[in-house]
Amino acid sequence: MSENTATVGEARAPRVVLVGLASCFGCQINITNIERHLLAVLGQIELGYWQLTSSEPMPEAFDVAVIEGAVTTEEAAETVRALRERAACVIAIGSCAATGGIPAMAAGDLASHVEAVYGDGLPKACGVLRAPAPVSAVIDVDFTVSCCPIDPFEFVRVLDAALYGSNRLDVTATLCGQCAQGEGGCLYKRGQMCLGLVTRAGCGAKCPGLGRACNGCAGLSPDANVTAARAFAASRGFAPGRFDEALEMFNAVALAPAGEE
Amino acid sequence: MASSASRATVAVHPYRDEGPEMTGAELMAANPYRPWPARITSITELTATEKLFEFRLVDEKIREAFCHAPGQFVELSLFGVGEAPISISSSPTKRGFIELCVRRAGRFTERLHQMQCGEIVGIRGPFGRGFPIEAMRGHDVLLVAGGLGIAPLRSLINNIHDERSEFGKVTIIYGSRNPQEVMFRHQFEMWRHRKDFDLYLTVDHADETWDGEEGLVTKPFEHLQIDAANTFGALCGPPVMYRFVVAEMRKKNIPYDRIYMSFERHMKCGVGKCGHCQVGHQYCCIDGPVFNYWEAKNIQGSM
Amino acid sequence: MLYRVIDRADLPSLVAAFMERYEVVAPVRRGSFYAFEAIGDFSEIALDYPTTIASPKKYFLPATETLFEFDARENAVTDYVDEVRPRVLFGVHACDINGIMNLNSVFNDPRYPDPYYRAHQDATLIVGVSCTPGDTCFCHLMDSEEARPGYDLFLNAIGEAFLVSIGSVTAANILEGACDVREATDADRAAFRAATRARQEAFNGAIPDVQEIPMLMDAFHEDGFWDELGGRCLSCNACASVCPTCYCFDIRDTLDPGAETGRRERVWDACTSPQFAMVAGGHNFRSTAAERVRHRMYHKLNGFLATHDRSLCVGCGRCAAACKVGISPIEVLKFFERKGADDGE
Repeated sequence: MSENTATVGEARAPRVVLVGLASCFGCQINITNIERHLLAVLGQIELGYWQLTSSEPMPEAFDVAVIEGAVTTEEAAETVRALRERAACVIAIGSCAATGGIPAMAAGDLASHVEAVYGDGLPKACGVLRAPAPVSAVIDVDFTVSCCPIDPFEFVRVLDAALYGSNRLDVTATLCGQCAQGEGGCLYKRGQMCLGLVTRAGCGAKCPGLGRACNGCAGLSPDANVTAARAFAASRGFAPGRFDEALEMFNAVALAPAGEE
Repeated sequence: MASSASRATVAVHPYRDEGPEMTGAELMAANPYRPWPARITSITELTATEKLFEFRLVDEKIREAFCHAPGQFVELSLFGVGEAPISISSSPTKRGFIELCVRRAGRFTERLHQMQCGEIVGIRGPFGRGFPIEAMRGHDVLLVAGGLGIAPLRSLINNIHDERSEFGKVTIIYGSRNPQEVMFRHQFEMWRHRKDFDLYLTVDHADETWDGEEGLVTKPFEHLQIDAANTFGALCGPPVMYRFVVAEMRKKNIPYDRIYMSFERHMKCGVGKCGHCQVGHQYCCIDGPVFNYWEAKNIQGSM
Repeated sequence: MLYRVIDRADLPSLVAAFMERYEVVAPVRRGSFYAFEAIGDFSEIALDYPTTIASPKKYFLPATETLFEFDARENAVTDYVDEVRPRVLFGVHACDINGIMNLNSVFNDPRYPDPYYRAHQDATLIVGVSCTPGDTCFCHLMDSEEARPGYDLFLNAIGEAFLVSIGSVTAANILEGACDVREATDADRAAFRAATRARQEAFNGAIPDVQEIPMLMDAFHEDGFWDELGGRCLSCNACASVCPTCYCFDIRDTLDPGAETGRRERVWDACTSPQFAMVAGGHNFRSTAAERVRHRMYHKLNGFLATHDRSLCVGCGRCAAACKVGISPIEVLKFFERKGADDGE
């Protein structure tokens, strides 16, 4: 990750654009769910473009580009390159932008998926398809807000970090520690397969706290020990194939290089 | 164990004169996590990536209570950005101001480098055990700095300079990667002609602007004459440097417990709690950051 | 120490008396596990609990604690007062009381007493209770099977009664006001002796009693064993989350929406976090999981002892239950045991 932050200390409010690529736009919608604080957040920036809410075209100049969604077409790749060129700082939000997310499940065999959906006639509107990938596969990303959907307060925190700087490091520990703080008991002891073993902490372990297994939406931690996690899951009766398949939902791209070895 | 059911409170108030009953030292001790406002009074560009900041604690009581030893550090706050431990570069003989030499190396220091004179930051400290300046008095001193290691060592060097008559022979070796990275170059170039300091400036890679030595920081040891029984060694630099410089000092027979080195760790709390600066069983923030070689040898994982 | 006897039937009125002036926190059942929680009624308490998932340290060192609030525009702290709730920890095992004693010695270090920890400590009464060791308990090997100081009351179960050790005036007054307190008889004393003996015999014999642990930690510092542990560590920090004596934390700033004001917080951290020993510029002094696991064990079994004359590990066994991949001090003890056997052959 680079050390880019947006221009600070200048008289003009930092100009921010929010762009959606292949995604459900749920992360953008989630930002609107902090009604009580939204005006305070927007008050510190000049929002030049918000795909979810704007019909105005994107402005020529801006400081921060926020990107939701995976890169699934050459056109999208061109868009993010253009954003990178103009923005001092790029923030990827949501699993699709951060890990490739759900769209990236098709990355392994794009052609057969395209054929299954469109047959021979890929509509022109689809553009030139490419294997779905996280934004960071195309350009350098300065900040990431993970999870599906994002926690809007985490988005606000990261936006602040981009605008004003922050010495907080991205968490790379995996989730079980945060989950244990909730004292709900390990879901494996209740016979559920949970991906918290290898998933980046930081989300507060909300799902396991509610009795739902972690599906890995925060992304595979760079310090994850997938081999040891597979072995543990196997010891609890979950074959490695099942573990890997579950992990692919949000981490197909991260797992792919390991699979090729 | 509670003595009664009364509600306990922890209070942090913005600085105001909290009555004549509390001294500056007591105010600081009441909550060691509480930063005190300090104003940037001067900024000097040292290199492309390093600046020397001079701060003045805003409140007189706190300013007067603030006194440090060479080798100690402060926790510098930029509220909202966070906090960072930074070693003090100024000499304790210079009261009323705190100089910090800061390399732009991350988001915190990036933000600090954008700041201007007159702006306010938070400072708490000083923390840690510094160099044993009292024990060094009356002895020869051999000071070795590598790269940014000059920042804490400068506090000791300037202290010795200001009280020069109290020390024996003083030798300074300061190594940098290249001439552009030499900090305080002006000061040191003037000192090269002084008789009361033996100064060796080295760079790993010289260029046409350089007329000092080329080579590693250990190179000047080849021709050093040392009265080992009467010498204190002090060193500070990147982790890789320590092993080699300590070996040179040992070759010259400086005793284990007279070779002092400053460890670089991330002291987050500064007060021996948070664990980030732990090295073996010791905390750099309260037991160090300056350790002698004997102590260092007895700290698991230190070298 | 002052001792008195109360009947088990007296406990509800004792708890009710505490509840008049304190929040009462006690072990409660959560599914197939137990946890310390604030209770509303005596009936919620599971006093015979084997152990809880996590320790009661959260009542002294909350997982997230605000140190102060600030104004980011002025770069200055603002007025901040944290009120700490008066609380009774009811039903704490000896290992955890010893754990709290260890935390006390860190946070009340006379060089830098911690005002936040101290406020929690000053507002908290501790009522201990005797227990029967489970499979992963090894407090007796860590000199923590007895709570000597560190409590206001300690309830030693003797059949249908408790021999109560009384540690503070406040607790003595509440006890005497709420219960039918009597002097201990010879029969009570004999029952107490029998109970401690039964506990002694209930420890899991498969956990080896190893002498000279600190020395061994140093001697085997470079052993391949640590790579083995590191090789399977998930870097999840579950061990630290449940541990009664892991007290490391991170300090960080959080801005309020709008970024004009914010808070500085301390948040639990752990030396098993991959970036825990990273310094500015990116160098990581413990970049591998093996180094991190070893450092954690070193501090638990050796380092703390060197500076505080006590093992930091109190043998509660929670990490052994929480770790998915079988890393715990028990494994370290077994490793030393194997080393002894290898040499003996």
